[in-house]
Amino acid sequence: MGIVVILGIPVALAAAALLIKRQRVFGMLNCAGYLAVLCASILLLRQTVLSGNVALLGNFIYLDVLSAFFILVISVVAFSVALYSVGYIRHDIAEGKLSESKARVYYALFNLFCCSMFVVPAVNNLGILWVAIEMTTLVSAFLVGFYNSKESVEAAWKYIIICSVGIIFALLGTILFAYAFSLSAGVKSLNWSAITAGAARMDATILKVAFIFVLVGYGTKAGLAPMHTWLPDAHSQAIAPISALLSGVLLKTAIYAILRFGMILIKGAGFAYFSHLMLLLGVLSLAISCGFVLVQKDLKRLLAYSSIEHVGIIAIGFGVGSPLAIAGAALHILNHAAVKSMMFFGAGSIVSVYKRHSMNTIRGVISVLPFTGIMVLLGCFALTGFPPFSLFVSEIMIIIAAFTSGSYLLAGALLAGLSIIFGAFIFHFGKMLFGNLPKGMARRAEPLSAKIAFLFLFVPVCALGPVMFFIKKDVVWIARMLFQH
Amino acid sequence: MRELILFGIIAATYLMVIAKRVPALIRSFRYQSFFLFLITLAAAIEEGHADLYWVALLILILKVLFVPYAMYRIARRINVDENLGLLVNSQLSLLIALALTYCSRIFSRTLGFHQDFRAVAITVAFAVVFIGAFLMVSRMKAFTQVTGLLVMENGIFLFGSFLSGGMPFLVEIAISLDVLISVIIMGLFVYRINKVFTHIDVNKLSRLRG
Repeated sequence: MGIVVILGIPVALAAAALLIKRQRVFGMLNCAGYLAVLCASILLLRQTVLSGNVALLGNFIYLDVLSAFFILVISVVAFSVALYSVGYIRHDIAEGKLSESKARVYYALFNLFCCSMFVVPAVNNLGILWVAIEMTTLVSAFLVGFYNSKESVEAAWKYIIICSVGIIFALLGTILFAYAFSLSAGVKSLNWSAITAGAARMDATILKVAFIFVLVGYGTKAGLAPMHTWLPDAHSQAIAPISALLSGVLLKTAIYAILRFGMILIKGAGFAYFSHLMLLLGVLSLAISCGFVLVQKDLKRLLAYSSIEHVGIIAIGFGVGSPLAIAGAALHILNHAAVKSMMFFGAGSIVSVYKRHSMNTIRGVISVLPFTGIMVLLGCFALTGFPPFSLFVSEIMIIIAAFTSGSYLLAGALLAGLSIIFGAFIFHFGKMLFGNLPKGMARRAEPLSAKIAFLFLFVPVCALGPVMFFIKKDVVWIARMLFQH
Repeated sequence: MRELILFGIIAATYLMVIAKRVPALIRSFRYQSFFLFLITLAAAIEEGHADLYWVALLILILKVLFVPYAMYRIARRINVDENLGLLVNSQLSLLIALALTYCSRIFSRTLGFHQDFRAVAITVAFAVVFIGAFLMVSRMKAFTQVTGLLVMENGIFLFGSFLSGGMPFLVEIAISLDVLISVIIMGLFVYRINKVFTHIDVNKLSRLRG
């Protein structure tokens, strides 16, 4: 039942956005709607953990723990974005950057974008999953090019073209998977529940070829190097709340798709092949993002490259593949979504006050925006994996798993990459937060909704460590719940 | 007979590779879609599924009539010069297209298709996908990138219908609608690029670096 609420509310809100004229009223309604979605997704996760998979509409909608987990991640970020949007859009209207009617279009697109992302983990049919992922690209392209400046139109064009081509290869892979299944089982189906069940008898060669196509296709959308070229442009040009959604959860929905196909591949063709591919792309993403983070001059591009880094870490986690690493990677998905949204909110507020992206000219944030400044400082430590925060826990889980599985070189590379990025982040953010205040800048008021959004996201950023003491299960249990094998 | 239609598809694809102007490109795309419609119709008659007739009708309306018409309209409205801006000249493009076709043959053989009709169909399908991708990277106008994407999608369609005997009807419809929406949205963006930059040369879009 919960899933109907989760899919229905964004659609209803999208329609309401166009009908309700008063921004204030709709902003509140939007937040209330996403709070309901958040509650429903928590209940859904609970239901799948306690009483098994949920099926609806004759198996058209089919959820296991993994799907429910991704829905939870999406709804956490979506709720915080709904909160943050209230203040941000009001500020943009006051500044004259957006008209009232354009703000309504923004809310409608935002809701459609969220809805298409919720569909991805909910459906059983791999063809519909493909359609949903393509829909996320098409809807969010408008949100990337929303300000209609030269840069944003260029970014939106690159985004839509590169991701559409990538995703066509994913469709090719999907068809090959369906073909391999129809060869072995004698019946046609595109449902992952059926294909995963019959995976052991499928032709390994076809599966291997098909997975390459899928990985290139959805890997483009996930921002794995070397298919990541659209990502820094799109993330830096999108409206700030949408940057958070793109980076926090859009990339993760593509990872979800890769995992679904990966589970079929592992059953049909063994783990080694999957592991090698994921590790290769993961390490490559980490290495490339290290280089670009060091020399970066643009605040939002810096955060975008950090997303590539974290997607790389997640890929490495799944590539290592021991229960500890899988649990670490899964938790990292949630942690990164929360922290990165927080950082993009911070960057959005900073950019809208300073009116520029370049990190060389932004100084003294902490005295202009004290609350945002402190949150960004904490977020910066959290993002680079500093001890008390959740990302430290999930990263250390992956590193320990890499050591215990004997891949010392991999663990070394991971540590080296993380320390380079830590240094670069502290350097960049230290200057921005504490430097001398530029002339003419004074302390600004910060909207209440943004403060609530920061505090809400800060809970999962801190909570993982303490929560681990209360859950009486170990990581093996988490990994087994998420991937039933 | 069906081999002949497949030949038509690949010939239309080569015509696109050597096209130098926008109208020629759109016309060849229409030929390709028309042959795709014919081959789906042939399959529908042979197997007698009602679903396949609907799919064929969908192709006729969307890809043969609507999409080329919309593209003509956009091309006329933005009113820029009609040259496609070839980064690779047409002779070399044709050679590359032939090489890609040969690669597709090797590819279909690795998947286990050796002799029968399906081997030809799968080869043509792969070739259309790869040549579509090649068109996207070797032409400068934003317009051609949209066409390249549509060519790739045609290839995928052919691939899907001959590899596993067609996808479920619902999925087929969903994918077709998706194509329709993506063409409309890309058309809008071509407009916007033209309005903001006063040209649609993609290789001149280079403000975002690093």
